[in-house]
Amino acid sequence: MSLAYLLRRLGSIVLVLAIVTLAVFILTAVLPGNAALMILGQNASADSLAALTAQLGLNRPLPVQYLSWVWGVLHGNLGMSLRLSLPVSQVVGEAFWNSLALAVTALVAVTAVAIPLGVVAALARGTVVDLLIGLFSYVGTSMPEFVTATLLLVLFASPGAQMLPAGGFVAPGENLLGFLDHAILPAATLGLILVAHISRQVRSEMSEVLSADYIRAARLKGLREGRVIRRHALPNALAPAVAVIALDVGYLLGGIIVVEEIFAWPGLGRLLIYALQNRDLPVIQAITLLLATVYALTNLAADIAIAILDPRVRYA
Amino acid sequence: MRDILRSPTGIAGTVLLLIVFGAALFGPWIAPYDPQAFHATARLQGPSWRYLAGTDQYGRDLLSRLLNGAPATVLFGLGATVLGVGAGAIIGVSAGVAGGRTDTIVMRILDGILAMPELLFTLLIVTFLGGGLGQALLAVAVTFMPGMARIARSAVLSVRTREYVLAAQARGESRLWIVGREVLPNVLGPIIVEATIRVSFAIMIGATLGFLGLGAQPPSTEWGLMVAEARQYMFRNPWCVIGPGVAVAMTAMGFNLFGDALRDAFDPRRKR
Amino acid sequence: MTYLMLKRRHVLMGLAALSAASALPRSAFAQGAAPKKGGTLRISHSTRIASLNVLTLSGPAEYPCIDMIYSGLTRIGADNKAHPDLATGWEASADAREFTFHLRPGVTFHDGTPFTADDVIATYQAILNPKIPAAARSVLNMIDKIEVVDPLTVKFTLKTPFADLPVSTAHANARIISKAALAGPIGNLETRANGTGPFKLETYDSARMVRLVRNEKYYVPGKPHLDAVEMMLFPDLAAETANFLSGSTDVMMTVQQADYQRIAGEAGVHAERVPSGRFACVVMRQDQKPWNDVRVRKALSMATDRDLLVEVILEGLGRPAYDSLVPPELQFATEKPAIAYDPEGARKLLAEAGYPNGIKATLVASDRPAIRAQTAIALKQTAAAGGFDLDIQTMPHDTYLASVWMKGPFYIGYWGMQPTIDATYNLLLTSDASYEDTNWKNKDFDKLIDEGRSTVEESKRAEIYKKAQDLELAETPYVVPFFEDVLTASRATTHDWSVSPMDRYFHVEDVWLDKA
Repeated sequence: MSLAYLLRRLGSIVLVLAIVTLAVFILTAVLPGNAALMILGQNASADSLAALTAQLGLNRPLPVQYLSWVWGVLHGNLGMSLRLSLPVSQVVGEAFWNSLALAVTALVAVTAVAIPLGVVAALARGTVVDLLIGLFSYVGTSMPEFVTATLLLVLFASPGAQMLPAGGFVAPGENLLGFLDHAILPAATLGLILVAHISRQVRSEMSEVLSADYIRAARLKGLREGRVIRRHALPNALAPAVAVIALDVGYLLGGIIVVEEIFAWPGLGRLLIYALQNRDLPVIQAITLLLATVYALTNLAADIAIAILDPRVRYA
Repeated sequence: MRDILRSPTGIAGTVLLLIVFGAALFGPWIAPYDPQAFHATARLQGPSWRYLAGTDQYGRDLLSRLLNGAPATVLFGLGATVLGVGAGAIIGVSAGVAGGRTDTIVMRILDGILAMPELLFTLLIVTFLGGGLGQALLAVAVTFMPGMARIARSAVLSVRTREYVLAAQARGESRLWIVGREVLPNVLGPIIVEATIRVSFAIMIGATLGFLGLGAQPPSTEWGLMVAEARQYMFRNPWCVIGPGVAVAMTAMGFNLFGDALRDAFDPRRKR
Repeated sequence: MTYLMLKRRHVLMGLAALSAASALPRSAFAQGAAPKKGGTLRISHSTRIASLNVLTLSGPAEYPCIDMIYSGLTRIGADNKAHPDLATGWEASADAREFTFHLRPGVTFHDGTPFTADDVIATYQAILNPKIPAAARSVLNMIDKIEVVDPLTVKFTLKTPFADLPVSTAHANARIISKAALAGPIGNLETRANGTGPFKLETYDSARMVRLVRNEKYYVPGKPHLDAVEMMLFPDLAAETANFLSGSTDVMMTVQQADYQRIAGEAGVHAERVPSGRFACVVMRQDQKPWNDVRVRKALSMATDRDLLVEVILEGLGRPAYDSLVPPELQFATEKPAIAYDPEGARKLLAEAGYPNGIKATLVASDRPAIRAQTAIALKQTAAAGGFDLDIQTMPHDTYLASVWMKGPFYIGYWGMQPTIDATYNLLLTSDASYEDTNWKNKDFDKLIDEGRSTVEESKRAEIYKKAQDLELAETPYVVPFFEDVLTASRATTHDWSVSPMDRYFHVEDVWLDKA
């Protein structure tokens, strides 16, 4: 992997982000209605609407609106939320940390579950255990988040059961146990598809490694099976799985939108839906920009990781 | 087909798809009630002999609604996939065949679209298109296009230097002829496999959009929307969310299993 | 207060014994015991407080905030009438064109500056300024001039007579803002608040909590009883309910119909349903076929099964309405004859109107709040038997507001209760109504409403408004299927929490906590 290649990738990411913001801007601007109409709702008499539109600066020519937004972003100013009367950086920043806390919780849990599951499936290949794990992974990849979430809610959060809260959020800094209590169901929902995906990957890598010559050699040397797996097979099988996990961050970014909405988690996804409903363009832009950047960078990181781990892959 | 039915995944997938297609084809006729009819005295009931899958908050028969929602769901999945895969394949094959600068530009644009998380991208498009089943279908199709184009392109690139293509070129055949007769048949396999698995994604995304209120609109019997509408009542009658939820999962799983089996059948090396 | 008490009793009788057990001792207690001082009232809500801008805000959780922070010239009491607030009294000229308000002496804003006539002038000038967005403008646009008579007296001169001006000055978005605040950037009103109300703004965090503390210098001696009020945002209904039931909050501002019975049945909880004039309506544009024919409108009304709608959509927590926008709570409201569900009759009427094969139409409903789509779905069902083949089109709220509202031929409207008949009709029905969306232009009706505005004598007004309501019933400009109750709940330790039927006035200064 050359430096030129890296720079080219980074350059195209920046270009893509610019195009994305322009597209989002144009599409939001040409739709009928605007944020002022959403703020006033049924109080929107013609003169109030015109006055608020002017107050929010939405009556300026479109190129001026877009360029002044770009100018602000380049100077580190994301503007004011049209609906929430707060700086976008504050609104989005807070939501970002909440989302991150959920994503990290989910990823940690997923890794802890998926890797052993994949290893067990590979070791028990062809047995009932393998079949069950395989079936589970199919069920996992076939359940949209809203179905998983709803079923989990019915099972664990009904007024009868009340084992876990049905939604809401406690900041991890304030009360870690409370945070985890609220994070279990959303993290489990996000995790199901990931566990299915990653465990499948680990299983197939592990099976491949287990039939490799050096493992057979290690066994012939008389090493105990447990040691063979831990010292020789696992490290080699896990490397590619790490890359898969990095790629799954992209999935997480999408899944989090639905999961946050269902479990009322005050993160980026829920904020995005609120902003879309209220035509709060600066917030939509900031979140789109943020998610796309994270996604593009993790993709790049995954490619780099694969290139380093697997010398056969070459990027020019 | 025989290959597919040999693996347990293939059998399971086929069985699930048969059920789903059966419901899609005959559901509206075998439904015991009008899916929109209110039974005001029997609201939010669990399964009973009268209402086999229970009733929702308006006292509408859930089984009838599920059966009536099947065609919409299946057609959505197939429609979005055919549209997205079709457009993607055309773009990918053209880019691959054309090569050179056209290829570079097209692929750069597609890479750009791929730099957005899929659901975010769909969500943005469907918001701008303004919600509705048709709009959701279009959004999913657009989202599928770039990925598909990439696959089609690399398939074309891999066959472009094969002997039979080179031979055709040597014979002086026209480009169009080469693409139609030599390239397309050989890249069709990977495209079909990818498309089958994509159907399950399309169904899941479609239902998710319905759930978020951006896809099918009430009083449609689309399954995702059914879950959304019943959410407020899910603790009073869990059946009104379990039914449609499981139906979505079953359908998606059918296409998933079948697609995997199809892939194994096309590519014997992947069989383990 | 007595009125509200009476109504509570009334409600109790109508309700199942469930809530009676927890509620009875409470109201008995409220009458006897002396209010205790102190404590923090925690109010839960599930919609954001996105702004504190008194001039424009319209969120359900935003209204209680400004009701606590600000005062108006007048304020609506539990009897739905205008009461003195910053004005101690007022006089109207005989032609209802001139109003003189006497201001309360010795009132100060939260920052210590004294309240004078200049603040009133500045506020009303802002409300009337077309360059400033203001929700109250539509009910105050008959004001021609506002003058300072002396520092504690202002005079309003009106372009047209308007006997209900003191009700309009009580509009939730017409609270008095200090002259200094209005001189600064209007945008500052979004997050800062300097009012004369019983509570002062301490913390404003739109993502979590708005905290208000007692205004020691509130003009009513001894009030408020509470030290502080916390408006706690719960992003989710289930979480809100759970916290309320476990006692983490004292008041659940809005209870959903689907949850009401369960919450009312819990021990230590007082759930209250306040009969209200909030309504959903079917908007039919009358400059277009087929809705220009009153027989078609009446047929749709007859094909509406009101009892079913109240049962299925409101879970019984509301009352059938019979095509008048005027709820029985309003002064001068007449008794409306019940309209029975009669699909046969509807078909006959349609045939008479020239539609023997029925009518096919697309009924549009916004997706927020959900009650709009629910009404449309239920209407489709009951109207089918009456010959109406309705196709329901639900759409996102922003699309609805921008493209259908006030434009489309056939859609579901949804409005809160207005304080007077005049306000109700001028909102929707007169030819120059603020949101006149049916295009039902009726000269006789307009004349009656104008007459009502310029008449001060009550018995004459009653007569005029009876004629107006009769005209409305005869013409059926809207199909109004039901009035929805306002639902709220408080814990038994919270006394005198109430929500006005209009859902705009809360009188939190009267609330007190009885906690050990």
